[in-house]
Amino acid sequence: MSEETSKIGVYVCECGINIGAVVDVPEVVRFAAELPSVAVAREYKYVCSEPGQDMIERDIEELGINRVVVASCTPRMHEPTFQQAVAEAGLNPYCLQMTNIREHVSWISKDEKAATEKAKRLVHAAVARVAFHEPLESRTEEVTPATLVVGGGIAGIQAALTIADGGYQVYLVEREPTIGGHMAQLDKTFPTLDCST
Amino acid sequence: MMDAGRHPNIELLTYSEVEEVSGYIGKFEVKVRKKARYVNAELCTGCGLCQEKCPRKKIPSEFDEGLGNRSAIYIPFPQAIPRIPVVDAEHCTYFLKQKCRVCEKLCPAEAIDFEQEDETLELEVGAIIVATGFAQFDAKSSPQYNYGRSPDIIDGLQFERMSSATGPTEGEIITSKGVPPKRVAVVHCVGARDEYSNAYCSRVCCMYALKHAHLVRDKTDAEVYEFYMDIRAAGKGYEEFYERVQAEEVYFVRGRGAEVTVLEDGQLMVLAEDTIMGRPVSAKVDMVILDAGMVPYSDAGQVASTFGIGRSEDGFFLEAHPKLRPVDTNTDGIFLGGACQAPRDVPDTVAHASAAAAQCLSLLSRGVVTISPTVAVVDEELCSGCQVCIALCPYSAISFVSHNGTGVVKVNEALCKGCGTCVAACPAGAIEARHFTDRQIYAEIEGLLRGLRLEAEEARV
Repeated sequence: MSEETSKIGVYVCECGINIGAVVDVPEVVRFAAELPSVAVAREYKYVCSEPGQDMIERDIEELGINRVVVASCTPRMHEPTFQQAVAEAGLNPYCLQMTNIREHVSWISKDEKAATEKAKRLVHAAVARVAFHEPLESRTEEVTPATLVVGGGIAGIQAALTIADGGYQVYLVEREPTIGGHMAQLDKTFPTLDCST
Repeated sequence: MMDAGRHPNIELLTYSEVEEVSGYIGKFEVKVRKKARYVNAELCTGCGLCQEKCPRKKIPSEFDEGLGNRSAIYIPFPQAIPRIPVVDAEHCTYFLKQKCRVCEKLCPAEAIDFEQEDETLELEVGAIIVATGFAQFDAKSSPQYNYGRSPDIIDGLQFERMSSATGPTEGEIITSKGVPPKRVAVVHCVGARDEYSNAYCSRVCCMYALKHAHLVRDKTDAEVYEFYMDIRAAGKGYEEFYERVQAEEVYFVRGRGAEVTVLEDGQLMVLAEDTIMGRPVSAKVDMVILDAGMVPYSDAGQVASTFGIGRSEDGFFLEAHPKLRPVDTNTDGIFLGGACQAPRDVPDTVAHASAAAAQCLSLLSRGVVTISPTVAVVDEELCSGCQVCIALCPYSAISFVSHNGTGVVKVNEALCKGCGTCVAACPAGAIEARHFTDRQIYAEIEGLLRGLRLEAEEARV
């Protein structure tokens, strides 16, 4: 993929007033729409909401968008959300790029002009980058159906029993000669004063 | 305890330690050293004759926190699981003087085996829960309390053993003179909320200190003085318990116990500032219970490096996120359960450990793990085999594959987090991070700067 063949959709989120009160979102959208390879640029109050995701999916299906930029919060929050949305519309999830105009822009600035300018730059960078994204495939590997629990106190015993009751093998390792830990040393336990062993 | 010992799906490996962990989520390889007990677990019936007849009996019992004694071959406490004794080679007469072996001669099951050696087991597991617990703060580290200077200054766990029916006094609360105390001081916040030891609150001590006051009042006629800063009784039924103890005529003194001194007649004096009355107070007592906070085990650093997990500032193991991922670590597939992550009481420990178990069950029942494709890849044509990257990789994901004298490095995709350290370090430019290729990053920088360039051009015009 290159700048020539990519057809980019840009979605700028207001995040209610979280972004919208500081960043001039319509201005960022106007700016994004003029960038090379951008086929559509839209704003929405909450892009992460169901109608917001539907909007992206519809553009992929109807306009043939093949690269997506979401300008919103940190990707730590919603990258999986948007990856799933683009995948549902048939696009590889790695054809998405998020750029953070909330934590990196609106939450750290009161200067509306400078914030809008920074948001535009970040959107520009994301658009330039996403054109070079390659579709990537995740692999899966089998899980060995056994658990090691290290420590035979009340925590280790509780965890081991829960997993073992679920039908899986547990190795419970304890460095002392007996399990029980501190719990076994206690006389009665608060607040109900029941026995500990 | 009993259930864990009998569960068909649980293999108990007691007197054992994890020595090495390799692999990754879904496929860990673990080496466990099973220390020699010098007792054949298959033959032993747990009759206890060996510990009864062992001539060395004056070894302070770890289980009883030094208040009682044990023999050199011993079962730590009557309900121990497994009920198989262990020979303490450091104190056993045979190991020290090459003679004795009384236990071996008397064992009706012929289970004693002085030739036994440590054994290394190799396990393969899909997930790991670290539930290594906490240590009690050593009250000797706060010298103002004179812990260790009088047998009647005891710490919280010693009091637990004294009050326990299986303990050295069979549950009787008595001073070193063998009589019930007349006046007892309970000191809160020992090694907790204290800039000289631990700044954090251990959360648990207020409640167990209240319980200690209750047990003293319940079992003796002693007056109890409770030295506290605040009572932190947040928990279901906790405030009610506090009220109950107040109604049991315990004297609450609001002020940190400042000092405990041993008087000439063996009596103890507790000094404090009563912050409600605004004046110094003192209490002459015949027993002091130092209710200490919780700290990480002294070898927590070593455990953290064995499992490749982090620690927070206070030394407890670090969760992946304090709110959203409280039982995960930064190593996928390794979870934390209980007080090894932070001080917590029994109900919270059970809840936390259950959450860790739920994470494991979710992983095991899914049966597969998804390996992210955003990892480093090596161009074998360009790799010179210099191995600079291997030492730099924070996840030990890179290995060297040699053939015919030369070789290249290989990235384990399941371990690689795509951090890019190796990519930046490779002198041959042979490693690329997928989804963070040079072309993608340069395009991004170009996009960021294009506006600046335009501004600069405008300024020139």
